[in-house]
Amino acid sequence: MIFGREFRPTLKRGGEMTLGEKIWHIRWTLVLLLAVIASVGFLMLYSAAGGRVDPWASKQMTRFAVGVALMIGVALVDIRVWLRHAYTLYGIAFLLLIAVDIFGHIGMGAQRWINLGFIQLQPSEIMKIALVLALARYFHGASLEDIGRPLFLVPPIALVFAPAALVMRQPDLGTAILLIASGGALFFLAGVRLWKFALVIVGSLAALPVGWHFLREYQKDRILIFLDPDEDPLGAGYHITQSKIALGSGGLFGKGFLQGSQSHLNYLPEKQTDFIFTMLSEEFGMVGGLVLLGLYVLLLVYAYAIAMSCRSHFGRLLALGIASIFFLYVFINIGMVMGLLPVVGVPLPLISYGGTAMLSLLFGFGLIMGVSVHRDLYFGRRGGVDD
Amino acid sequence: MTKRFFSASTAPAADPRIGGRTVLKGVRNDALETGRLRLLVTGAAFLLAFGVIAYRLVEVTAIDPEHRNRPVASAKDGKLRFDRADIVDRNGVVLATGLPTVSLYANPREIRDPEAAALSIARVLPDLNAADLKAKLAAEKGFVYLKRNLTPRQQYEINRLGVPGLNFEAGERRLYPQGPLAAHVIGMADLDGKGIAGIEKTFDGQLRQETGEPLALSIDVRVQHVLRTELAEAVQRFQAIGATGVVLDVRTGEILAMVSLPDFDPNQPSSMTPVAQFNRTTLGVYEMGSTFKLFTAAAALDAGIANTQTLYDAREPIKIASFQIRDYHPLHRHLTVEEIMIHSSNIGAARIALDLGTAGQKDFMKRIGMLKPTALELPEQGSPLYPTTWREINTMTIAYGHGLSVTPMHLAAGVATLVNGGIHRPVTLLKRPAGEAAPGARALSAKTSDQMRRLMRAVVETGTGGKAEAAGYRVGGKTGTAEKLGAGGGYARKALLSSFVGAFPIDEPRYVVLAMVDEPKGNKETFGYATGGWIAAPVVGRIVAQIGPMLGLAPVEAPGASAKAQQASLTTGERKVAAN
Repeated sequence: MIFGREFRPTLKRGGEMTLGEKIWHIRWTLVLLLAVIASVGFLMLYSAAGGRVDPWASKQMTRFAVGVALMIGVALVDIRVWLRHAYTLYGIAFLLLIAVDIFGHIGMGAQRWINLGFIQLQPSEIMKIALVLALARYFHGASLEDIGRPLFLVPPIALVFAPAALVMRQPDLGTAILLIASGGALFFLAGVRLWKFALVIVGSLAALPVGWHFLREYQKDRILIFLDPDEDPLGAGYHITQSKIALGSGGLFGKGFLQGSQSHLNYLPEKQTDFIFTMLSEEFGMVGGLVLLGLYVLLLVYAYAIAMSCRSHFGRLLALGIASIFFLYVFINIGMVMGLLPVVGVPLPLISYGGTAMLSLLFGFGLIMGVSVHRDLYFGRRGGVDD
Repeated sequence: MTKRFFSASTAPAADPRIGGRTVLKGVRNDALETGRLRLLVTGAAFLLAFGVIAYRLVEVTAIDPEHRNRPVASAKDGKLRFDRADIVDRNGVVLATGLPTVSLYANPREIRDPEAAALSIARVLPDLNAADLKAKLAAEKGFVYLKRNLTPRQQYEINRLGVPGLNFEAGERRLYPQGPLAAHVIGMADLDGKGIAGIEKTFDGQLRQETGEPLALSIDVRVQHVLRTELAEAVQRFQAIGATGVVLDVRTGEILAMVSLPDFDPNQPSSMTPVAQFNRTTLGVYEMGSTFKLFTAAAALDAGIANTQTLYDAREPIKIASFQIRDYHPLHRHLTVEEIMIHSSNIGAARIALDLGTAGQKDFMKRIGMLKPTALELPEQGSPLYPTTWREINTMTIAYGHGLSVTPMHLAAGVATLVNGGIHRPVTLLKRPAGEAAPGARALSAKTSDQMRRLMRAVVETGTGGKAEAAGYRVGGKTGTAEKLGAGGGYARKALLSSFVGAFPIDEPRYVVLAMVDEPKGNKETFGYATGGWIAAPVVGRIVAQIGPMLGLAPVEAPGASAKAQQASLTTGERKVAAN
């Protein structure tokens, strides 16, 4: 389970590493694994464009290159720096979310971007990482006794639900669910007792009928359609019906690269973004889909191994939080295209076309790698040697 | 979660989750231990979730037959299958069918030289513009339609061009072999095979079902043809703006023919202008005029307040405030009910209605279905317009067909009720099993029905409907000439709706025939008259003479009647009573 144990540095508590040592400790196999998954994405985007590099695959490759550089840069930063600035980052992300609410660029009926000229900044993506950082910091070094106190849990709950509410307003149901679920995972990992989860879950279930009224019409449609996709196969149920047809038509080994008729004749909507897994399964069949799932599992196992080998609570929570987000991305997206979950706009990580998602994910993996590099650091609640 | 009563002092060592396994000492170590356990739990949960997804993937792609490639329908049993079932008439003549065709499409990405390709395609398909084609072929798309519904010859020619990137898509084109003949009955399906009007729309779901059973209508194309030809001729001869007609089986409620002019050719969607699309027979509501006097008489006879010889005062016009009810050809005497029908006296009809009373009239109208839409299976359905408060003045005007607007289909169904023994049956466009009538409700007594047949026969024998006589078939009926509402709200004297509703053979009626001509202009033949007796009655006479033999009705030997009919058609110089 534990990879690369032979590289374990012999460091004293709080000892400082040189840059060279850090680079030596970066897990290049993890980089390779990410590159393999991203390459699957490039292939699919090449196919989605009808066998062309433009307009999607080329941009995606550039972004991946930039993202990998960013990831390595992040990995080399001492994780105590991230700890110290966790709340600041969270604050910035939160302000950006409010800003997008006020000046946001309206795209596809949803208000999610801030146009910075060179890049469409999507603050909800930043928030996913910032939330994990902030929660990891909050729970870092907290004793079970602390976590047992209900009042202790009020600030982190606010940390989760405030941005979730803002994202919900955009409206972006998928990201809101992602924020709440990854927050929940961190609470669980931090040791919050189970009956409190039960309390929150029962409470939310009770609030469900009220929440229903706050959903947009199309969101309600998607949920109703999820419950009965054949109700309106040409209208609201179109996405999922077409997706299932495409999946089924792939069969065991698929129709072959560039041969997915459902995708290429545009029956399949959003094939380069949310429904790219469907296209993959149409062209490479069940085997292709399972191989990709296997790669994802491998990546998660890697993240877990890093988390378990980390000595600091902060590092472990950080790695696990980001792994949880990653897992949720994969699970929600694939569950959605196969009709296991309602249609919510969640991309398939590292594969779907989209800049901010790619960058924020690689940023996240940079943090995981940073945890791995600094796994033997042992530090106090505020990032000092032992305060 | 934040409630105060919750005890904050949970001793870590007592925590059952870590109880037995507590090896490390100290708060921090307890936390680490719990964290490890939870970490394993989440890890297991993640793996489980992946397992579910993987299972579902296998299920969707490899197991679930619902999502597998369905075999092509034609490969299943070798029979031709169509997206939409045929529509046939009552004798099985095809009214609407599907024709397998191919549509030409292109993948512009595979077209190397759009200009050359466009020029060669335009040579084979001259109705396509080379410049448009070039623009389509040069587009940054993977798919463009170039032309729908190619003939096999055209397909062959395109194939011979050998341009890569051109392809054919098998499809189906809806074809209406009878053209405009029954346009308003059948309606139309659009390019995608979706019913957008008429029977095609009403039975869209049924026609799409895979049974492939043709839908049999009650229509008889032969009768439909006669009706349409005669109405079209009347429209042309009297420069009318439109016409409508119905042939209805009084015993079953089946519609044998239904025409609304102007009409359209469903094979050419461009001919479907709003005016042509309008179904006068079932959607248009009109004040019917004098044909309604039949209902006035029937109501009075059925209520027992009068018989055919009861006298009513028709000496002077009836004056109500500034409004006057007049006769076109006043006789200035008392008239029997029979004479009121024969001479189509407005005054007399109003007097009968006054005798009957408002409640009696309204009740009778309701019984013969004049106050609600008909049961016809068409999406184009008009609702009758009637006064919300039914005053005495309304009663008097409705007695001669003004103030209550119904569709021509209502009128035909109402008259069928009068002559079939008194049963009101829902009208239908679907063929009924032989000898099986739709269940109806009694609206008037058999005796009244019998009396009505005699009155209607008298109208043709000696009254305004003389020109409806057909050699060999005894026709009974009633003329109607309604003044259309003018733009100013009043009645326009010159814009008439001339109609005749007849039943034959009147002694034991089988069919009701209605003909209505919208805004006819009188000509030399009719001495300038544009009334129902001059315009519509002869149309019905000619229709009956043609469809009688078709429908298997033997002509009767009635020398007097046929001689009279001959005389009527010959003596065009004679000025007959054909006013209203």
